[in-house]
Amino acid sequence: MNTLIIELRKEKRTGVIPLLLLAGILGAAYAFVLFFVRKDTLLNLPLAPMDVLLTQVYGMIMILNMFGIVVAACMVYNMEFKGTAIKKMYMLPISVPKMYLCKFLILTVLLFIAIVLQNMALLKIGISDLPKGTFKMDTLLKFTAYSFITSMPALSFMVLVSSRFENMWMPLGIGVAGFLSGMALANSSVRLLLLHPFVVMLKPAVAMSAQPDNGIVTISMAETLLFSGMGLWMAKHLRYE
Amino acid sequence: MDYIITTEQLTKKYKNFISVNKVSMHIRKGSIYGFLGPNGAGKSTTMKMLLGLTSPTGGSFMVDGGHFPNDRISILKKVGSFIESPSFYTNLTGRENLDIIRRILGLPVNAVDDALELAGLTEFGNRLAKKYSLGMKQRLGLAGALLGRPPILILDEPTNGLDPSGIYEIRNLIKSLPSLYDCTVLISSHMLSEIELMADDIGILNHGRLLFEGSLDELRQSAVQEGFAADNKPGGKDTGLEDMFLSMIDKDNKAIKAPQSDKVSQRDKVSQSDKVSLYRKQRARL
Ligand SMILES: Nc1ncnc2c1ncn2[C@@H]1O[C@H](COP(=O)(O)OP(=O)(O)O)[C@@H](O)[C@H]1O
Ligand SMILES: [Mg+2]
Repeated sequence: MNTLIIELRKEKRTGVIPLLLLAGILGAAYAFVLFFVRKDTLLNLPLAPMDVLLTQVYGMIMILNMFGIVVAACMVYNMEFKGTAIKKMYMLPISVPKMYLCKFLILTVLLFIAIVLQNMALLKIGISDLPKGTFKMDTLLKFTAYSFITSMPALSFMVLVSSRFENMWMPLGIGVAGFLSGMALANSSVRLLLLHPFVVMLKPAVAMSAQPDNGIVTISMAETLLFSGMGLWMAKHLRYE
Repeated sequence: MDYIITTEQLTKKYKNFISVNKVSMHIRKGSIYGFLGPNGAGKSTTMKMLLGLTSPTGGSFMVDGGHFPNDRISILKKVGSFIESPSFYTNLTGRENLDIIRRILGLPVNAVDDALELAGLTEFGNRLAKKYSLGMKQRLGLAGALLGRPPILILDEPTNGLDPSGIYEIRNLIKSLPSLYDCTVLISSHMLSEIELMADDIGILNHGRLLFEGSLDELRQSAVQEGFAADNKPGGKDTGLEDMFLSMIDKDNKAIKAPQSDKVSQRDKVSQSDKVSLYRKQRARL
């Protein structure tokens, strides 16, 4: 708990917290604007109204979240490396893996808040804009959980990468490469590509149905555990020299 | 003798390079121990090992009865440190930086003001650390080490980058610490003239080996014995020690450069025995 408070205090002026909140707000605003401008076109698509609501907007929202995750993950470790603050942390009676865990948790909670904000907008649109009787609350909740769970591999991967490179351009470059290659590969049906955390995150956006894919949920959870486990192990065993 | 830090044949080997070579140091409780050596001698590496920043490849050490990694937390609670360059969060003010350290150490709020005051930084506490001048960053690093007045201080070239009056001020501060509160200071420098003014005991390191360990008086006596008598030199400055130091380093460097065709360990023998004899002499007198 103490470590978490310390980590939150370190975030001051870094912009990590506003950045992810902004991704949430922009995503929500995008949904409103899209439905305001293109409501009729969207609802005339040959898809169930709930599928339209969730999958047609998610592409853009997901890209905002992905961008937020990449940049925020780079920032939470960049502040440690910039003034070599992390060297001091290693010389203080604090657990460095615990610090890693707290950074991870802070980003996770922020991403969760962003996704909640975005889905609250979808809730509002669903209630007021979808044809009467077609809005289903449980589908929305399930999709919210699904988009959060499928975003976690990318988040845990990015925290891992940014904790390993002193130069922020490295994790940023890896994040951009992950984003671009993810975009290129997202439509492939090769299951092996699901090892790519960005591909996993893109899956709900390229699907035509808002129904969660249980296989992808399982893979997402496994990858999240794997990447965060690796990050914690490295924080414990690889020293900063 | 009551030692608070001891190392036993402490060694750090990088791929094909020995940075610290079988160093056995003895730091008396309540003393200021000057750790002297030219650039690249291995001072920082030794201190990093004492703080668990890097692990030894050979030998062992003890800090106030504890060992790494088992006693890491309890050791680090007792040690204030400053290694190589100041470490800080650039997005925080000096005061906020110290507050992070204070929270980690679980100290009362007023510890921050105390540390700022000791390091002479009170005036600039609310300025962002990234806007600090080099000297102010150095002082912030020092304040971070002094926070909570820890019983052991490990300071690696803490006056680097300070102007002459800053050096003077920090030197006086460090010198006054053991009388201000009960503490032991391990301080490194590449300048004997600086160490001489503060230290009770001295360890001289060159190319990773400890060439001399003993009290300042011991070093002075050795200087006289070896013909570096100084007190009669013009200006009255104690340059004999500096000469002694330089010649000791020079001798060691020559021994390394000398052909090593038949006996690789020739140099080892020479400097090792030199050291042992000095060391014995000193122990006998203590
Ligand atoms: N991580 C490292 N890898 C390889 N060599 C290193 C590393 N750190 C230090 N060294 C080498 O060890 C030697 C001692 O360095 P250092 O302890 O910093 O010396 P000092 O502090 O006395 O100036 C130097 O030659 C340096 O290049
Ligand atoms: Mg050094």
